Amino acid sequence: MTDFLQNCIDGVMFGSGYALLALGFTLVFGVMKRLNLSFGPSIMLGAYAGTWVYLNFSQNVLLVVLVTVMITVAVGIYVERLCFWAVRRDATIASMVSSFVIWMQLEEVAMHLLPERTYPFPAFFTSTVIDIGPFFVRSEHISMFLLTLVLLALLHLFLFRTRPGLAVRAVSDNPLASRYMGINSSNVLFLAFAVVSVLGGLAGFLILSADSQVTPFFGLWATFKGLIAMMLGGMGSLPGAILGGLLLGVVEANAFWYGGPVVRDISAYLLLFMMLIVRPGGLVGQRIVAQQQAAYERV
Amino acid sequence: MDYYLNLINTIGIHTLLGLSAYVLLLTGQLSMAQAGFFAVGAYSASVLTVIFGWSILPAIGLAMLITGFLAFLVGFPALRVRGLMLVVATLAFGEFVRLFFHNFRWRVTQDGVEVGPDGTMGFSEIRYFAEHGWTSWEVASLIWIFVIIVMALIWWADQTRSGAVLRAVGEDELAAGTVGIDVTVVKVAAMTAGGVIAGLAGSLYAHQITMLDHHAFTVLLATFAIAYPILGGVSNVFGTLVAVIFIQGLLVEGLRFLGDWRMLLFGALIVVVMNLKPRGLFDSQTLRWIKNVLRLRLSRRLS
Repeated sequence: MTDFLQNCIDGVMFGSGYALLALGFTLVFGVMKRLNLSFGPSIMLGAYAGTWVYLNFSQNVLLVVLVTVMITVAVGIYVERLCFWAVRRDATIASMVSSFVIWMQLEEVAMHLLPERTYPFPAFFTSTVIDIGPFFVRSEHISMFLLTLVLLALLHLFLFRTRPGLAVRAVSDNPLASRYMGINSSNVLFLAFAVVSVLGGLAGFLILSADSQVTPFFGLWATFKGLIAMMLGGMGSLPGAILGGLLLGVVEANAFWYGGPVVRDISAYLLLFMMLIVRPGGLVGQRIVAQQQAAYERV
Repeated sequence: MDYYLNLINTIGIHTLLGLSAYVLLLTGQLSMAQAGFFAVGAYSASVLTVIFGWSILPAIGLAMLITGFLAFLVGFPALRVRGLMLVVATLAFGEFVRLFFHNFRWRVTQDGVEVGPDGTMGFSEIRYFAEHGWTSWEVASLIWIFVIIVMALIWWADQTRSGAVLRAVGEDELAAGTVGIDVTVVKVAAMTAGGVIAGLAGSLYAHQITMLDHHAFTVLLATFAIAYPILGGVSNVFGTLVAVIFIQGLLVEGLRFLGDWRMLLFGALIVVVMNLKPRGLFDSQTLRWIKNVLRLRLSRRLS
């Protein structure tokens, strides 16, 4: 039982990183109903730029964070302009395919920047273990969890207390009606991508700091974890993304403890499949699916 | 010469893979599971020829059946979701299959040599063609005979009622349902057919390349599989073939002189095509243009 609870604590801590990634996917999906497959790789490229600065210029961790986030935002905007803004509105699939092709480009650039397989990634503090009763927590996991909470609060403030946030919600609710209200959806898309890239850059930094290394596989990994967490929670739902991320973290931590690394990876996919069979809409999105079903049956 | 033959084989195999996604795309389903089915076909056919010592054609046949059955099973849960959710679900399935083969070990000693899939090390020594003295020309002909058969079958099916049914489901599920088409049956059937074709492509690939590695079946292959029919357009099967030649022949091999940087240009070129022709190279506009050109030529020759 203690083991299980310990795993749950680890899972929630690590799952907060998944939640941030899933939020990135969900926000973009909500605004434009399109999938950005190169979200993970753009974070990877940002992290590579950060590592490159760390190795070649300065050991200042704050600078690494700044470079990581800035490059992630730059790459995110590049992807947005090329694959989403330029491609026609109704060509959902064309956007997805081109966002994937851009992925290859990004990986190529990262490999040219740092050609080795694995690089060390800096963290704010050296890792320590904190005991709480029978349980223990790693300090970087706590900082990740706390920073995620702060970021969530900020995102909530942005979306629900500011005019640009209102515009983002309006476009994601009903693109046509928001255009009649004079909202420039192209600008909103741009803004959403920038916000999401900031979130993604920070999430990437936190996760990589906890791992203390960066590899070219991070792009694929981040995209998959983010997508799975988003699907678990329900596509396009913000609370769902957080719940999905935490659920994924807890399940993976337990699978790792009882079964090893292979079972952990497989458990994520099994969880997704089971969720699709039982609740295709995800934890929170069931209502949306039910509404669609009702509309379908009425016709 | 072998280089060109290899390229021709690759084009053939990738055409089959693209066609497997094409069948699904007709019904409006975007499946990223094709790489997974491809891997299942590749591994099961090679296990049959290497470990059980089957002949190549029955092995391919059984591999196609296995893959088809798997696709049938995957079809049901996956069909509860549509659109982009289906993309993510099938993406997860493909990754699941890759992880499975990453850990799949089945070593058998034959004539003093250990053969069979060896987890992370991959599955090497699939030497059916070499052991039975097939020349590389014969291998290429085998692959292309299959390509021609599959293309002809899909083309023929497209002329009959079944093609119309598939396209109707792809165009508008609701309307298709109201005229009495069982949408679920059609979609699962398309998924199964796609699985069978991907299994065929995989089993040919395994024997042509002689060495399987789970790294070959990543999301990259899955994206290629759906990129071909999307780039070629779903108006007819030749679009897929042209797209494969365009990507594999022109972009992947033709840009090799650029060295490491070719991926950058490769990405940019595909994005440009996607921007200019979101419905594929052979959309209705282009087809009309080609028909007009042909008609002009004909009328000029007649007059």
